Amino acid sequence: MAAYIVRNFFYTILILLGVITVTFCLLYVVPGDPARIMLGQRADVASVEAVREELGLNKPLYVQYFRFLGKAVQGDLGRSYASNRDVVQTILDKFPATALLAITALILSAIVGVLIGIISAVKSYTLLDNASMLFALFGISFPTFAFGLIMALVFGFWLKWFPLSGYISEGPAYLVLPMVTLALRPLAIIARITRSSMLDAMSQDYVRTAKAKGLSQGAVIFKHTLRNALNPIVTTISASLAATLGGAYFIEYIFNWPGIGLLAFDSILKLDFPMIQGTVLFSAVIFVVINFLVDILYAVLDPKIKLD
Amino acid sequence: MEAVEQPIIAEEGIIIDQTPKSLWYYSWKRLRRNKLAMIGLGIIVILFFVAATAELIAPFNPNAQILEYSVKPIGFQGNVLIKKFDGDVQYIPIQGIIKEDAGKVYYKDFSGSEANIDKSELEGDSQKEWNKELTFHLGTDRFGRDVLSRLIYGSRVSLSVGIISESIALFLGILFGAIAGYFRGKTDGVIMWIINVVWAFPSILFIIALSVVLGKGFWQAFVAIGLTGWVDIARIVRGQFFSLRETEYIEATKAMGFKAPRVIIKHMLPNCMGPVIVTGTVGLATAILFEASLSFLGLGVQPPTASWGQMIFDGYKYIIAGSNWGLAVFPSLAIMITIFAVNLVGDGLRDALDPKLKR
Repeated sequence: MAAYIVRNFFYTILILLGVITVTFCLLYVVPGDPARIMLGQRADVASVEAVREELGLNKPLYVQYFRFLGKAVQGDLGRSYASNRDVVQTILDKFPATALLAITALILSAIVGVLIGIISAVKSYTLLDNASMLFALFGISFPTFAFGLIMALVFGFWLKWFPLSGYISEGPAYLVLPMVTLALRPLAIIARITRSSMLDAMSQDYVRTAKAKGLSQGAVIFKHTLRNALNPIVTTISASLAATLGGAYFIEYIFNWPGIGLLAFDSILKLDFPMIQGTVLFSAVIFVVINFLVDILYAVLDPKIKLD
Repeated sequence: MEAVEQPIIAEEGIIIDQTPKSLWYYSWKRLRRNKLAMIGLGIIVILFFVAATAELIAPFNPNAQILEYSVKPIGFQGNVLIKKFDGDVQYIPIQGIIKEDAGKVYYKDFSGSEANIDKSELEGDSQKEWNKELTFHLGTDRFGRDVLSRLIYGSRVSLSVGIISESIALFLGILFGAIAGYFRGKTDGVIMWIINVVWAFPSILFIIALSVVLGKGFWQAFVAIGLTGWVDIARIVRGQFFSLRETEYIEATKAMGFKAPRVIIKHMLPNCMGPVIVTGTVGLATAILFEASLSFLGLGVQPPTASWGQMIFDGYKYIIAGSNWGLAVFPSLAIMITIFAVNLVGDGLRDALDPKLKR
């Protein structure tokens, strides 16, 4: 187990290195002079030159790269062009909002999704099953932003049940619309996987044994079948966590939820390079770290994986 | 409905057709029986038809602006004079015709003041031809452009971006997946590292960042989406190659001394195509979704080209304001139906191509 974790850890570091490199390249390929963009189009040549010197833009590319790498590892990603505040600090300030949204959405989608999946599997090929699965396919196909808009229209505007935009600090109702919108897609995916995994498990001999022993249906489903069907379901839920974090970005833009997503989109539209770099890098790092933790979780759930 | 392939028997005991058929034949038959997948396929065919015949079926030019008719509701009808303009027509909204004589037409224009125009500038010869009541079946957007026509033309953008981006992704994915899967070792290590690094970035952020780097536009959207989509395909191909490499017939090709490209292209790739097609179909749905997302943010396809995502971007503020909600809802429905149809077909393909399922 220790060897597995250490191996994974070093591979993760390698990936992070690649991620930082790609983030670096991303912004040095952008047309336009970062210093000029920062100072505005009408700045004089002398000030632009001064800023270029300060940012080290005149040094050769590999020098800039190692500078970036060194600083990034220490947690310094520069200052935002737009607000002149420290990039890393701004991101860390906004992250809890995104995390709150993503985690609550994921919990909702996991619970409801698994329930729907179990019911569909138990009552497979009935109308209930077909309807649920069609609904699930529908959920996967609905573009998140479109669904968000329609939710905003129906529940926010017509029915006026929930507010349209703003943050939870003004009341729990503000969380509802964004969270439900975000939860739809993972819910659908989890429901489908749960159903197919449960169906696989239910055809196994030990389930027939349990039923033959006279166990109640509840016991059969929850104590025996579900446990063994869990592996792909857990895989999907953890994959959904990363996807949900990504999807949250769009939702934040639509519902004006002050998290990293809104920050990322705003900075892209304003061409605030340090912030763009910061948000992209931060997202990738979170993703890689989550994957690393999930890989360890797999090894705990299924010991065979350690031998891979 | 036949459940099992029966040899065709003409007379007692005489069998006419017992030729073995390929996987594709049986898969197609299985797919045909899947009603939902066939509905999905039907929707896609209709969509293609709409995109191809857009000029014929769209009631208006999607870029024709009639500013006076900005943001009008569904089914709105307007009285217009039709004027000749640069080989096309221009619509002049009027309140009504006052009178006409030999050379001119006198009318009340949109704001109520009197105006006149030479008959030579008008389209056609009779009042029936240059004075019509236009119907905007789904309303107009803020520039007075017909929503229905823009929806019809928008299908072109969604379909073409989806197909081209996914083709780029398929090409890159098959290339890298095959190389990684065949040569293994260090090559595989490097390619897997690249795949993991690309996969670490949230797709939507990556695509947007790429779009900013590459600039806004049609071609940039293809490249950006294709560069993120290849990862899934590569994984599948690589996985398939790993299992195929152990099979005896591939070992036989090595024994026969075939060179790598020949083995890969002629022997291994054709056997991977099942899962690749399924993943490619799902990827197509995702590509259409990403195009819509890009356009929604103002990147990707630029105005005045009609794109569904862009129509949502334009119409989005009207939902909050509470006026013509159709502006954002109709393109959303269009996207959703398209993606839903593609997913139905993808699901059906997955079931049909699975050789483990009993026929």
